[in-house]
Amino acid sequence: MKKKQMVLWMACAAAAFMAACGQKAETRSSGQEADQETGQEGGQEGSQEAVRDDVIVVMGPTSEPEAGFDPAYGWGAGEHVHEPLIQSTLTVTTPDLKIDYDLATSMEASEDGLTWTVDIRGDVRFTDGEPLTAEDVAFTYNTMRDTSSVNDFTMLKEAEAVDEDTVVFHMERPYSIWPYTMATVGIVPEHAYGPDYGQNPVGSGRYMLKQWDRGQQVILEANPDYYGEAPAMKKVTILFMDEDAAFAAVRSGQVDLAYTAAQYSDQEVDGYQLLSFETVDNRGFNLPAVEPEDREGLPLGNEVTSDIAVRRAINLAVNREEMIQNVLNGYGTPAYSVCDKMPWYNEAAQVEFDPEQAKTILEEAGWLEGTDGIREKDGVQAAFTLMYPAGDSVRQALAADTANQLKQIGLNVAIEGVGWDEAYDRAQSEPLMWGWGAHTPMELYNIYHTAPDSSLAGYSPYGNPAVDAYMDEALASSDLEASYELWKTAQWDGQTGVTQQGDIPWIWLVNIDHLYWAKDHLKVAEQKLHPHGHGWSIVNNVDQWSWDEME
Amino acid sequence: MRKIRIRTENRAPALSEESFWNRRRAAALLAAVCLAALVCVTAAGWLCREQAAAVDFSRKNLPPCLDCPFGTDWMGRDMFLRTLTGLSLSIRLGLLTAAVSSAVALALGTSCAVLGEWADSAIGCLIDLVLGIPHMLLLVLISCAVGKGFKGVLIGISLTHWTSLARLLRAEALQIKSGQYVQTARKLGKGPLYLAVKHLAPHLIPQVIVGMVLLFPHAILHEASITFLGFGLPPEQPAVGVILSESMKYLAMGRWWLALFPGLLLVLVVMLFHVTGEMLKGLLDPGQTHR
Repeated sequence: MKKKQMVLWMACAAAAFMAACGQKAETRSSGQEADQETGQEGGQEGSQEAVRDDVIVVMGPTSEPEAGFDPAYGWGAGEHVHEPLIQSTLTVTTPDLKIDYDLATSMEASEDGLTWTVDIRGDVRFTDGEPLTAEDVAFTYNTMRDTSSVNDFTMLKEAEAVDEDTVVFHMERPYSIWPYTMATVGIVPEHAYGPDYGQNPVGSGRYMLKQWDRGQQVILEANPDYYGEAPAMKKVTILFMDEDAAFAAVRSGQVDLAYTAAQYSDQEVDGYQLLSFETVDNRGFNLPAVEPEDREGLPLGNEVTSDIAVRRAINLAVNREEMIQNVLNGYGTPAYSVCDKMPWYNEAAQVEFDPEQAKTILEEAGWLEGTDGIREKDGVQAAFTLMYPAGDSVRQALAADTANQLKQIGLNVAIEGVGWDEAYDRAQSEPLMWGWGAHTPMELYNIYHTAPDSSLAGYSPYGNPAVDAYMDEALASSDLEASYELWKTAQWDGQTGVTQQGDIPWIWLVNIDHLYWAKDHLKVAEQKLHPHGHGWSIVNNVDQWSWDEME
Repeated sequence: MRKIRIRTENRAPALSEESFWNRRRAAALLAAVCLAALVCVTAAGWLCREQAAAVDFSRKNLPPCLDCPFGTDWMGRDMFLRTLTGLSLSIRLGLLTAAVSSAVALALGTSCAVLGEWADSAIGCLIDLVLGIPHMLLLVLISCAVGKGFKGVLIGISLTHWTSLARLLRAEALQIKSGQYVQTARKLGKGPLYLAVKHLAPHLIPQVIVGMVLLFPHAILHEASITFLGFGLPPEQPAVGVILSESMKYLAMGRWWLALFPGLLLVLVVMLFHVTGEMLKGLLDPGQTHR
């Protein structure tokens, strides 16, 4: 009996041992394979000391370009702007968000702003060997104008190639910030552009698309014939994972850099550091600035937030620093406008947290405290619903914290999670927690300028002829640098505007720092302020990243 | 003679005590206790719904402690109160949907029997049709079609859970219908409504009650799962599905308490309903009366 038991135990132990060994052997062999692979690609035969020249980056599943790598369908352009990597652009934005050249060698706007003449370099080839000419540039812009599903190109009448390396853009109306549009449009080859271009992109950028497994990964390889400085990272693998999966991948050491959220920032992972980059990825809510009415069956305006005193009081009663600690674990900066830290930001937007002043403003406007601590005026309760997109936990927490803070001055705010299918319509009459932030002053125009054929702005009802006029003037300006001043004046000209002393139709809360787990030895190049969208921006300059010698 | 009388007197209490704790009474008591527990949870959750929604960032991410037995989440909400309120909502929703479902099932089941053959086959078809579509899919579809939220979940669950009960009741009703007294009543010229109300319903009601209680756990679990999938209630609502889907994200960070306790409590409530239902079945089902 005893003997039998012994044999059984030994068999068990042996089985367990073998299983463990098997696993180990397996992981080791796959590790060797990986080493060999990277070694071959880097041209250095797999020794342990060799410095790596590849990097594995994790982004959220929504960062995967649904329609592929076609600039007409959102690649690099649209809501989440980033450098298209595979294609070149005419211009690029600098770290301080001014304009520099990529393909272009000079650009000039006519006095009336209706023609832009751009010279391009003559030494650029697409990765299929064909030269990139002005014809390709003109073709790209005319295609964008006709098919772009993400960007507004109505200001462009026609792009025309006047010779091998000169393009002339004929505009419908003056558009001084055209260089910012040129910074997002990747140039596609006329000879290789078709319906399946998104899947098989050919460009002249720093990288080529090597492999795309939908829903999983994108592999980019350095373009050996790139006209600029050769990329230091030869191979970039992008994985698409949810936040928690990304964190699990970091914990098991499988990836080099992974996006993460503030909720994870108090965790520690061996061999990784938490990188934090400042952004203009802001969060704020709209306050419908007109009296309630019914417009074509949709409610428009709000009887509480249409009172300018309420809007001003809210802006003073929001404690942005506390919100950053509460919701973002300290990883954020206060936001006072949609374009903080941009060259066109007007510092007059900044306010100090002052709840007492906020109460005084409300008292003077006739909003008096009722028995339940909620203010009232002429039988109207100082109450509204603050919506947030369901599923966005950061915006939910910001909304909840806003509600808590506004309760202190006697405003009753209820929060409600809504889907985007109804959010846009309901934002016409109720505040909604938005996220904005792009590398173009057009953002100001979209938010504060009245919509065509309407006296009110599109996203939240508001209109001010003076603000409109300044922005129209800014777009008509022939000098980009000079137009920055006009964009600033549109925000506050000393008399009127969209800041605290002005109409304050939107309240801006915070800019969310973009957080990443990065391997200790990975040197991520300096980032320009990230725009809205926690995705491809991080790899804008992946070609300049490097690994420390130690690995 | 006298001796015998004393004996019977002595024995009588003992006998009655024995018979008092027979299975029926034990079952009734158990069912009552379960019901009382459920009523308590429902009432408690309803009463503290204000505090359950309160956000307090000064106490975020607390592990379970004396103040907050289930800990707090990333917005500093008390998970114990949130779970209670969520369960309370689930139970009330379950009550409503189970009631609607069984009413539908009763109506369709009796119609099968009294409205003649064409009605029977039409309703049979309908039952097969609804049963044929996967439950969750139909639920999500209906809930989205009527506008999500509380209303969506309510209508969705009500319209998908009546099928198996309807089938059961139909079989029962057909059997009763062939009884002689029903046939006689019909020959005497009584209409279908009279037959349904006077003769069928009294026999079917016990089945309906048992069926309704047994529908409860289904309704609650489906409410939780549809909300978990994001088609149900909005995230600021304290609902079990919302709590569970949120807490999934925090498991990787080691905040196990966010998922464990609410999950356990949900299982407990479902089991309470199940036990109640089984006990009621034992009490009301004529076939089990003498056990």
